[in-house]
Amino acid sequence: MATIDGPSGSQNKKSWRVVIERFPVRRTILWILSLTIIYGVIVGTTKTLALGLFDADDWISFTIQGLTRGSVYALIALGYTLVYGILLIINFAHGEVFMAGAYTAFFVAMGLHGQGFLNAQPVLSLLILFAVSAAVSTGVALVLEKVAYRPLRGKPRLVPLITAIGASLFLQYTFRGFYGASARAYPEIGVLAGTVNLAGINVQKRQILVVVGATLLWLALFFFIERTRTGRAMRAVGEDREIAALMGVDVDKTIRITFAIGGALAGAAGILFVQIFNQVTFAMGFLPGLKAFTAAVLGGIGSITGAALGGLILGLMEAVGPNLFLTGLVPSPNQLVDLVAFGILVLVLIFKPGGFLGAPEEKRA
Amino acid sequence: MTADTVTKARGRRGLSETPGFNTGAVAGIVVVYLGMVGMIEAFSDRPIITDYINFGPLLILLIFYFFAYAAIGRPMNEGAVFQTGITVGVVGGLLTGVFLILVEIGESAGYQVRDVFISISPTMRDVLSFGFGPYVGTVWLTAIGALMGLLAVLTRRLQPELRAAVFSALSVLMIGALGATLFRVMLDGLSIPTRWLYRSDGLTLIGTVVILALAIGIRLYVRRQGGARMVALSLPGATDRNLPRVLIGLIAIALMALPWIVNTFVSDVLGTVGLYILLGLGLNIVVGFAGLLDLGYVAFYAVGAYVTAILTSHASYLVTDNPLRPSPDTFTNFWIAIPITVFIAVAIGLIIGAPVLRLRGDYLAIVTLGFGEIIRILVTSDWLKPYLGGPQGVTDAERVPFFGLNTRDPRILYYLILAFALFAVFISMRLKDSRVGRAWAAMREDEDIAEGMGVSVIKYKLLAFAMGAAIGCLGGAFFAAKLSVANPGSFTLLVSINVLAVVVLGGIGSIPGVVVGSLVLVGLPELLREFGEFRLHIYGAIIIAIMVLRPEGLIPDKRRAMELHAIEVHEGAGPGPLSAASAEGVQ
Repeated sequence: MATIDGPSGSQNKKSWRVVIERFPVRRTILWILSLTIIYGVIVGTTKTLALGLFDADDWISFTIQGLTRGSVYALIALGYTLVYGILLIINFAHGEVFMAGAYTAFFVAMGLHGQGFLNAQPVLSLLILFAVSAAVSTGVALVLEKVAYRPLRGKPRLVPLITAIGASLFLQYTFRGFYGASARAYPEIGVLAGTVNLAGINVQKRQILVVVGATLLWLALFFFIERTRTGRAMRAVGEDREIAALMGVDVDKTIRITFAIGGALAGAAGILFVQIFNQVTFAMGFLPGLKAFTAAVLGGIGSITGAALGGLILGLMEAVGPNLFLTGLVPSPNQLVDLVAFGILVLVLIFKPGGFLGAPEEKRA
Repeated sequence: MTADTVTKARGRRGLSETPGFNTGAVAGIVVVYLGMVGMIEAFSDRPIITDYINFGPLLILLIFYFFAYAAIGRPMNEGAVFQTGITVGVVGGLLTGVFLILVEIGESAGYQVRDVFISISPTMRDVLSFGFGPYVGTVWLTAIGALMGLLAVLTRRLQPELRAAVFSALSVLMIGALGATLFRVMLDGLSIPTRWLYRSDGLTLIGTVVILALAIGIRLYVRRQGGARMVALSLPGATDRNLPRVLIGLIAIALMALPWIVNTFVSDVLGTVGLYILLGLGLNIVVGFAGLLDLGYVAFYAVGAYVTAILTSHASYLVTDNPLRPSPDTFTNFWIAIPITVFIAVAIGLIIGAPVLRLRGDYLAIVTLGFGEIIRILVTSDWLKPYLGGPQGVTDAERVPFFGLNTRDPRILYYLILAFALFAVFISMRLKDSRVGRAWAAMREDEDIAEGMGVSVIKYKLLAFAMGAAIGCLGGAFFAAKLSVANPGSFTLLVSINVLAVVVLGGIGSIPGVVVGSLVLVGLPELLREFGEFRLHIYGAIIIAIMVLRPEGLIPDKRRAMELHAIEVHEGAGPGPLSAASAEGVQ
């Protein structure tokens, strides 16, 4: 890029044109953008703290909320990261994979609830819900791979992305057709209501379930990828598909498995998600999907640890950010929660597209 | 190549190896799917031929037919053709029947299937079983499937010329029947009697026969005469040389006359189509010419609408220190507002574009999506409510002053939008063939080489963003003028995706494609009310189908089509799909 300063001292017309042409427009805009944001954050934080609306307990509770949300984002983000790590495509429809499982499991939950099973056998019920949700999401992810992505391998990168956008729309409206357009409330599990006191901090039981569940699943995936034969095959295909095939790895099968694992994790994330947000609709997948993608990019897309890290950071920023930065600046800051996620998305992609743990941004394809 | 091929070579004969079985299974799944999402029921009382057949059942027949037709497309021997075609139909029919029987068993065991799948209604099951109930219906479905398979085989065997004629006649029939309301109004407008042709939203039997005969006849005649060219040449004064001009003239006359033939509702729809043509042309510059996927395109639409609305609004609730409105009484003439709007949109285009242009294609798409959402969230927030009206938006925008004409009349507005759309077409065409257009083409094919050849990538990318923003915001300006309001509900991500669908369907980079895409995706769903409900559903399906089956779109841009297929050619020469990694330039 043109960053070398022209001979600005000379006064003739031509060199002025050189100065103007070589003026680093992009950099200037970037600088102004980052300075504005830093200034806004500092001013907002001071103003908010000066207002003194929240005490220490509030901040702790925001943090716990953030960690809870963040663990769900992290689980969904794993799906993006796995697929991206292997195929280098953004599976834009992953949010819908997540929705499919959670929404379908809703009917099972209602059935269990109707018979009183949900409260009588909460552990078993939860396991059933996890299984149903993960199975449905896996199924959807596999169909998606077969119908929408497999025929497009080797096409220019934008082609699968456009397809993914179409698939996202298609899946949303398919499930709208199946289950209807109205939002529905998940039945609550009695055991999970209420709070417990952990080292002097009141934590909701379902928040513990979400964080513990997500951590366990993440660990399981980590060991699967690092320690099993299939995991090694997945890493090999991600490194170099051609050579992996020469070494006897069944590339097609590995890609299918990747989609299946991403789907299963998304389905499990769906059950955790409804523990916090309590509602299902056909459109519920879009925003969490996008935020999970943000988390994946933030942590470094392609990296499993990065997805967890990114998810937690994004969750914390979302729960703490609007309250901390914006309360002092604007009316009703909670309308702007999504702004935090999108803001992070844009800023990370502009300033550090490799994320925290990802490989440095490779040459453009 | 891989283990998959090895398994196949080893031979694993079973049902799925029977030719036509898999296709038939897919056909059955498609029918069941359409039933489960509610399409079959929604279309079930739309008559095609009144009293004879409705669109719902016809859809089932068509699906069996087309899958059978597709299955026998590959060269195979005589006997296999019949077997395959009929297998497809039979398997499809059986599968649909099995679904019906399962639902029936479930219901009689006390499960309310409808509590979960809301579309599995008695009506839907009735349509799917042709009114015979699940058990007899299965027999019927199988028989009908077999019949459709047989028909497919027979049409395959027709002379190509005759087959083409039959197909186009049937398409004309379908269009004529589905567009009954529209065509009736048009024919009434031309004072041609329609009673013999249409009865209660469907065709009459006589009408069907006449349309079929006419369509086949004309098609065969035109074929022999050398096509539409001869028709155009038969006009007085037309010669081979000025043929393009004559054709353009004909289209122009048709476009000018259209609002006076159709009613105001259709004119209004045409206005909306015009808006999407503007948006599509703008996005086409960004995606098609420069190869930058912009998923936040709605931002420019919104900026156009908001700026125009604020400048021309009489609403009193906007604060007085609004930078665009120094005092509540000053409102600007629409024609003065337009250049201001374009200026602001271009500025925003540059501000959004500049930081992100160094990003790789798919990241760029996501960043622009993020920007689009950020703009939407800001617009809806209480924070900017004094300036932008919050969720309610900016109301009471002034109508377009135009020589004292009533521009609230959709017909007048149609002409204005048409004029701007044509202007945008003109700009697009000139840009495409200009030095700028060539630079864009070079850049999207290979950015590094283009840069090496002296194309200033950043400059041309910014130019693409600016042009796209300028044309898109014109669509927004007319949106505000048309509805006299700019509210955040109209500027969601879905608009970006709709415009993308328009561009993709017509063909990425193709200017006539945008026009056709808008007519099909925006015009048709407004006119066919049964489709309206499934519009987004169908958009999604169309995007996937086009990208998988025909990525260059309906009316391909030559150069773009070449690029999209270049890699496949390369792949054919290389070691199969594995070369994908190198084609993506990952190394």
